[in-house]
Amino acid sequence: MDYGNLVVSSSPHIRSEDTVQRIMMDVIIALLPATAASIYFFGFRAMAIVVVSILAAVATEAVIQKIRKKPVTISDGSAVITGLLLALTISPAMPLWMTAVGAVVAIGIGKQVYGGLGSNPFNPALVGRAFLVVTFPVHMTTWINPMDGVSSATPLNLLKMQGIKTGYMPLLLGNVGGSLGETSALLLLIGGIYLLYRGIIDWRIPVSYLGTVAVLTLVLGSDPVFHLLAGGLMLGAFFMATDMVTTPVTKSGRLVFGIGAGLLVVIIRLYGGYPEGVLFSILLMNTFTPIIDRYTRPRIYGEVKTK
Amino acid sequence: MKNSTARLIIVLAIISIGSGLLLALTYNFTIPSIEANAAREQEIAILETLPGATKYEEIAGTEYSMYKGFDDTGKLIGISYVAEGGGFQGIIKMMIGINPEKEEITGIKILSHSETPGLGARIGEAGFQGQFAGKSINDSFVAKEDVEAITGATISSKAVAGIIKDSLPKAMEQYKASGGGK
Amino acid sequence: MKSTSYEFFKGLWKENPTFRLLLGMCPTLAVTNAAINGFAMGLATTFVLLGSNIMIAALKKLIPDKVRIPSYIIIIATFVTIADLGLAAYFPDIYKVLGLFIPLIVVNCIILGRAEAFASRNSVGASLLDALGMGAGFTWALTLLGIIREILGMGSVFGIKLFGESFISWIIFILPPGAFLTLGLLLGLFNALSKKKAEAN
Repeated sequence: MDYGNLVVSSSPHIRSEDTVQRIMMDVIIALLPATAASIYFFGFRAMAIVVVSILAAVATEAVIQKIRKKPVTISDGSAVITGLLLALTISPAMPLWMTAVGAVVAIGIGKQVYGGLGSNPFNPALVGRAFLVVTFPVHMTTWINPMDGVSSATPLNLLKMQGIKTGYMPLLLGNVGGSLGETSALLLLIGGIYLLYRGIIDWRIPVSYLGTVAVLTLVLGSDPVFHLLAGGLMLGAFFMATDMVTTPVTKSGRLVFGIGAGLLVVIIRLYGGYPEGVLFSILLMNTFTPIIDRYTRPRIYGEVKTK
Repeated sequence: MKNSTARLIIVLAIISIGSGLLLALTYNFTIPSIEANAAREQEIAILETLPGATKYEEIAGTEYSMYKGFDDTGKLIGISYVAEGGGFQGIIKMMIGINPEKEEITGIKILSHSETPGLGARIGEAGFQGQFAGKSINDSFVAKEDVEAITGATISSKAVAGIIKDSLPKAMEQYKASGGGK
Repeated sequence: MKSTSYEFFKGLWKENPTFRLLLGMCPTLAVTNAAINGFAMGLATTFVLLGSNIMIAALKKLIPDKVRIPSYIIIIATFVTIADLGLAAYFPDIYKVLGLFIPLIVVNCIILGRAEAFASRNSVGASLLDALGMGAGFTWALTLLGIIREILGMGSVFGIKLFGESFISWIIFILPPGAFLTLGLLLGLFNALSKKKAEAN
């Protein structure tokens, strides 16, 4: 859209400092601690995966926009975030070329086929991850232990398959098996709080999402603290379920979104075939976003309620 | 006249009769081949799970479909039966061959399943099925312990091991009840 | 009056049942996980299409309007059952894979669509060409989908391995989501191609 010199102005408009760039910059800053920790724990491999994923995402965005003869908008940082988020959801043992495939799919099929930023119904990074999970299931579920580099299962997997529960401290700090950014709950929480403080994300989705998981696991006789800290829940709750494009815009709608996603996570984790349910919970709720928005639309001031 | 009820009935009847005739003809023509295919498939499955057997006969009166396999000289090689159970996505049906005297498995063959292609579907591969031959029927059949599981398909592997474990005692019982144990 | 050859060639591209008319999507998505399956499904459908189109064109004067749909369905179902029995008898391996989808040819919209839209108002000869063209169009579309999905999902084409042992299957392509992805991307590609063609004219 190019409106040239079109200026619409009557009231004194207040200019917000918010631009796509600024928001994206804040999200990147918020993800830095968790990214740094993953590189600390998993070493060079983690760094390589992050770099490859970001480069592939940005390159895909640029190439597709060139082909479609649209302005190339890679400098807005949204492709960088998609690449980074995708990297944080995959195993450090993942071959680099598969990481690149995931990033290409995330941007290509998850975002650009719908028309680019703002038009995608699903979170692009999660589309990339979903594609990888179904395409290379063996590689996507081969985890390594950060301490000794030997292959090991994730805490959720251990719980589901063998009934072994990992302690809270390792889960908080992040020296457990898992994908790059899912391991350290504490650093993700810090990043999330930064975003809340900066006003980039609304508290409603993370709080209702995490709250639902905590309450439900407690009611169903599971350990709520473990379920909050393990797996990708923190990453999902603060960085993916809060994506502006693919989640509801209304306040009550966001609560509905969080509760629905929390419900799905618990159902998948406790009763489903997969040990982890964050990915599918958010993707499924993404499909409900338009409906949620529609039914939670606030009444216009002065409008009479029709029975 | 063109749309009178009588005409509608007559035309539909003629078309139905024609269709019926054509199908009866085709059916008669193809049924020998179809039956031969089914028989051949069954024979391959039975003989594959009982290495050394060249002939087989059905054992009457058992709950499982059960067959005895013999070699050229007429010596009993073992019995083979069809068992099924739930897999990751659907029913797994398989043929299990056992040597009732030595109480060991002679071979298994997956007949049908609906597991995930590329993952669980690998239970159909010879490498996975082959590991069961020679196992004692009293083994524990626990995937990842005495049964080697397929990477990424633990549930399917467990399902196969479970079906074998559950069906073995029943099969032995039925075999003995049919008078074969003497 | 369009030329006779048009009745055949329209099905290949301009009115391709899969890529242009978007008909028969169920078998298109369900059985194209390997090239041979797509090809066999295409041929089976072509056989039914040929039989029903010729039969309906020949009987069109006889069949009263009021019962034309039941009559067409009986005729189509007859040919589908013949195809089903024939495959079971002579191609048991392919029959095992295609299984339920052979009887489901009855409800493939291409067949009733061609009967209603073409065979019931054209000559036997034209209907024959129409059936052949539509069948060929459907067959090549399904085979193309099968080839792409088989290469990515299993590393082979018509069962012949293309890559070495180190090939890692892209499993999604032999699963249902792979069918949607491949079909969607192909549709986009063909739309872009026809747009270019239209602009060039």
